[in-house]
Amino acid sequence: MSQTDTAETAETAETAETAATTVNRTDGQDVSTTAGETAEETRPEWTSYDAGGETKLAVDDLDVHYGDDHALKGVSMDIPEESVTALIGPSGCGKSTFLRCLNRMNDRIRAASVDGSVALDGEGIYQDGVDLVELRKRVGMVFQSPNPFPKSIRENVSYGPRKHGDIETGLLARLTGRAEPDREEALVERSLERAALWEEVSDRLDDNALGLSGGQQQRLCIARCLAVDPEVILMDEPASALDPIATSKIEDLIEDLARDYTVVVVTHSMQQAARVSDQTAVFLTGGELVEYDDTEKIFENPESQRVEDYVSGKFG
Amino acid sequence: MSRATRTALVRDDRTAYEAAAGSAVGLSGIAFAVGLAALLGLVAIDAPVAGVGLSVALGAVLLALGAAVVGFGVASRTGYVDTGPQPSAGIVAAAAFTGIWVAVGAAASGAAGLGTGGRLGGGAVLGGVAFATTALPREDIGSTVPAGAVAGLCGLALISGVVGPGWEHALVGYNATLFGDTVVPVVVLFASLVTGWSAAKASGGFGARGRNVGAYVLIYLVVGSILAVLVGLVAFVAAKGLPGLLNGVSVGGAGLVSWPFLTNGAGLLADVAGVFPALVGTVWLVVGAVCFAVPTGVGAAVFLSEYAEQGRFTGAVEVATNGLWSTPSIVFGLFGAAFLIPRFGNQKSLIAGMLTLGFMLLPLVLITSREAILAVPDEYRDASAALGVSKWQTIRSVVLPAAIPGVTTGVILGVGRIAGETAPILLTMGGGVLPAKAAAPDVLGSFRLSASPPFVSNPALLEATSALPYQLYALITAGLSGNIRNPQEFAWGLALTLLLVVLAFYAVGIATRYYFRQKLHQ
Amino acid sequence: MSLTTPRTDWRASIERRLTRTRAFVDDADPEALAVILASMGSLLVAFVGFLLASAWTAVPFGAFLIAAGYGWVRHQALVARAVAFAMTTVTLVTLGLVVAFIFAESIPAFRYETASVFGVSVPGLGMFAQARWDAVSEPVRYSLLPMIHGTVMVTTIATLVAAPLGVAAALFVAEIAPPRVRELVKPGIEVLAGIPSIVYGFIGFTVINPWASDAFALNGGSTYLFVGMVVGLMALPTVVSVAEDALTSVPDVMKDGSLALGATDWQSMTSITLPAAFSGVSAAVLLGVGRAIGETMAATVMLAGVPRISDPLVNVFYGYETLTSLIARGYGSANGVHESALFAAGVVLFVTVLCLSVGSQYIEARMRRRLGGAE
Repeated sequence: MSQTDTAETAETAETAETAATTVNRTDGQDVSTTAGETAEETRPEWTSYDAGGETKLAVDDLDVHYGDDHALKGVSMDIPEESVTALIGPSGCGKSTFLRCLNRMNDRIRAASVDGSVALDGEGIYQDGVDLVELRKRVGMVFQSPNPFPKSIRENVSYGPRKHGDIETGLLARLTGRAEPDREEALVERSLERAALWEEVSDRLDDNALGLSGGQQQRLCIARCLAVDPEVILMDEPASALDPIATSKIEDLIEDLARDYTVVVVTHSMQQAARVSDQTAVFLTGGELVEYDDTEKIFENPESQRVEDYVSGKFG
Repeated sequence: MSRATRTALVRDDRTAYEAAAGSAVGLSGIAFAVGLAALLGLVAIDAPVAGVGLSVALGAVLLALGAAVVGFGVASRTGYVDTGPQPSAGIVAAAAFTGIWVAVGAAASGAAGLGTGGRLGGGAVLGGVAFATTALPREDIGSTVPAGAVAGLCGLALISGVVGPGWEHALVGYNATLFGDTVVPVVVLFASLVTGWSAAKASGGFGARGRNVGAYVLIYLVVGSILAVLVGLVAFVAAKGLPGLLNGVSVGGAGLVSWPFLTNGAGLLADVAGVFPALVGTVWLVVGAVCFAVPTGVGAAVFLSEYAEQGRFTGAVEVATNGLWSTPSIVFGLFGAAFLIPRFGNQKSLIAGMLTLGFMLLPLVLITSREAILAVPDEYRDASAALGVSKWQTIRSVVLPAAIPGVTTGVILGVGRIAGETAPILLTMGGGVLPAKAAAPDVLGSFRLSASPPFVSNPALLEATSALPYQLYALITAGLSGNIRNPQEFAWGLALTLLLVVLAFYAVGIATRYYFRQKLHQ
Repeated sequence: MSLTTPRTDWRASIERRLTRTRAFVDDADPEALAVILASMGSLLVAFVGFLLASAWTAVPFGAFLIAAGYGWVRHQALVARAVAFAMTTVTLVTLGLVVAFIFAESIPAFRYETASVFGVSVPGLGMFAQARWDAVSEPVRYSLLPMIHGTVMVTTIATLVAAPLGVAAALFVAEIAPPRVRELVKPGIEVLAGIPSIVYGFIGFTVINPWASDAFALNGGSTYLFVGMVVGLMALPTVVSVAEDALTSVPDVMKDGSLALGATDWQSMTSITLPAAFSGVSAAVLLGVGRAIGETMAATVMLAGVPRISDPLVNVFYGYETLTSLIARGYGSANGVHESALFAAGVVLFVTVLCLSVGSQYIEARMRRRLGGAE
């Protein structure tokens, strides 16, 4: 049961953005950061970008506090359908917090309080009576480090549908003749193929998923997410724990997925954002969305001086 | 990928349904509480409620709950309300209801006068029906109809008086009789649990959410009961023990507090019998055990985590430590009796008790100290080593100070545990049932030097001495009688004193841990 | 620790150790070495003297104190290490002494109860092959079966109480409770562990036994049913704290993964957390069983103290004797083979609980390895 490829899963040096991240900053315009940013006022027109096409997720004036810590400040942006949106920014800028707001995973952190609104296809996800099960079925998530369940590959993929009662397995279903092994089989194959993993694991679907390499584990997590048939896939630095080859496979996969899904990807790597995304949002220290535009525009000719400094590697 | 149906994020309004199911859960909770009160004898089952006996009233409530639960299921199945049931109630529910109905069937056939074969048959038939009803239909029917039927049946039995006040059933061969006074509350407890769970599922709209709600209701009930038992125990002992403990307490006389229960012995001359000798005995026991176990345990923990390489030796010590930790206290008592008593004057003695408890405390101290030392980050050690500080200096000035909070907490909690131990000192330390004040050990004043071996002696350590838990045991075996005014009150006062001593250690231990954790987070 | 090490490894490791010791001796200051030898030697002599119950034990022990005290001033690092090593061996020595003395004292009883099977006489077999315990009237027999039956009854009932409630409470503390509630419930359960067993026994004796006698028209209130419930309550905190440790050791990212797929909290607990922590939770239950088997005082004061097997076998409304209560009640008034038989009961207890402890350690180690691969 030992890990076949420990090098791939080795902890990255990057610090994960956790709830406890403290941001040293004062209020108002005179931003004097320790990260080497120049002081500058954010202009609303830098973020009022319309990508064209249908808006999948509309975020309006979103604020997040962790206790006394103001982690996200009045973020508004529209995420278009069937495209890749990259969220970039230095550590502690709130981009992961923002991502976790989109499927309400922040509800897990009790100290977090969220104000503002997020709408999925025009339906507010923070209004009363929202069914979290339904929301998370429609907005899937892939985490920073691969987190397959300690179960077989097949069970990992069919986990979501089984929990939602879409596929029945188990003793009782078999006893009452309701088990649908063929449907499960088809779903597992389709999901794994979609995640570009089928070729590698088709002959060992009953092996424990923890025996896969880090890159394979991450693609399994993507397959697991696809099996629920989501509309939006959120990815939180999906390649940060992987080696370059595994990373490039994941990046190819992201581009491919954008044909059918709305993909929102948080990344630490500007190269990655430039390679895979259609539009890019830049968060900077203090939990502010500073600029949101076509990826090309952001990387070649940003409006904000701070963004230019950031993408050219002067700080971050 | 095209999506044929897109489910709405916000569920359809079913406020009324949820409220109805929620009040069914609440009513089940009330029935549960009343059943518990009846079981504890706080209310009589034939007490008049609205013109009928309590037992009949509870039966009516159960019947109503059963009907309501079935109603929830049917309303969901017929599409009257929009819920999210899964295709089946699941294997766990099926197994549980099969078990319940097998028992009901067997009991009913037995009551109908059928023999063993009839019981088996009756149980099998009803069990099979229950399995089919639970497993085959959709979840909303499968998890309500069998539950509602259980509650309805129990309710009917209570209403009709088949089981009620004055009912009795002799368990032939068991030499025991079941009476309505105990069976009615148990039936109510059980049936209200079943309806509570089922109604909770309904209020969550069945499916994954419903199961979540159902399971949470049960878990909250379990945790609530555990805490209630805890609070009830402590309150009960306090209520019974306070009169004894506070007997003759007076404040005054040059501002001094006089507390005879704690400062008197139980001799003939004492006007208020007290537990002073046992209290002093317990204090010395703890001191002795700590003196032996804490240096040894901490030293061993330092060696294991700082010096020793992981290998057979450390593995063996770990297994030995865990083995000692789980060894029953009575076995330590036997060991002390066989090993220590012959070496300390061939009689039960204070020092034998101290060392026996020390042996018991050792693994606890070792385990917690080792955890505390391992929790010290390696960076501290590396930083210190990088400055050229020797290993021992690092341990002394970096590792041990950082580990002190964990070690202290572990030691205090461990002491709380051994201070209440009875079995080991029963075999090694003995002492009188009602010792007079003069029997309190005077350890410090008894050291004697002599010119012949063993050169140092201390008669106080070598005498049989009483301690709080032992005295309580001795009183119980003496049938709670003795040459004092009110042995019952004395025993409860003693129990409360013991409880307070032990809980004080726990309170201090937990507070220490809390304090150090707060400090760490600042 | 691998158990399949070839013998050559042993030899190599011993050689390695010898060379290292030699190097250490060569390096060390000769005076320091002398001090350590003197202190450790005198400690060993003191231990042997104590074992032999010699009145002179104080002399070498004093010598140890002097040598160690001198060394502490002059060669602190080395002496500290040597003393720490000596303290480490205390644990092993204690376990060894417990085993040696309990077994040695029980030998006469095992001899007395020799029975033969197929012509081979097996010492101690008589304790388990017939069911009579009578230390007074002829024929004097020391069967442990009635007490083992009592222990099994009490432990089974206790486990039925402690295991489900304990696991549910552990789930609550580890997964469900909001932080504030957890800060209250966790210490509360610890305090439950702190209530001395004699206090439980006292309440059982003065409150539960009379009530049971009344409520079930029993002949005396001593029942395995209620002893088992009380013992279960005592074993509960052990189950809760060990199981809670196991549950919290499951990485949070796994639970997050399940929740992000739209599973409910309860589904994540039952399908991800509990299976991943299964070994730890079963180890917790095993430890709880161990506690229940070893629990003494409640059984001693609540049971009737008759070494008999109840009839029918599963009659929970009788309460005679358990292994622990047999020892606690009988020791002191017993002598000779009778006393030795009590030690035999201790041996049975000790071996059973040690097996449970080693078993649960093995299970836990396996879990740690498995989850280690997941992180």
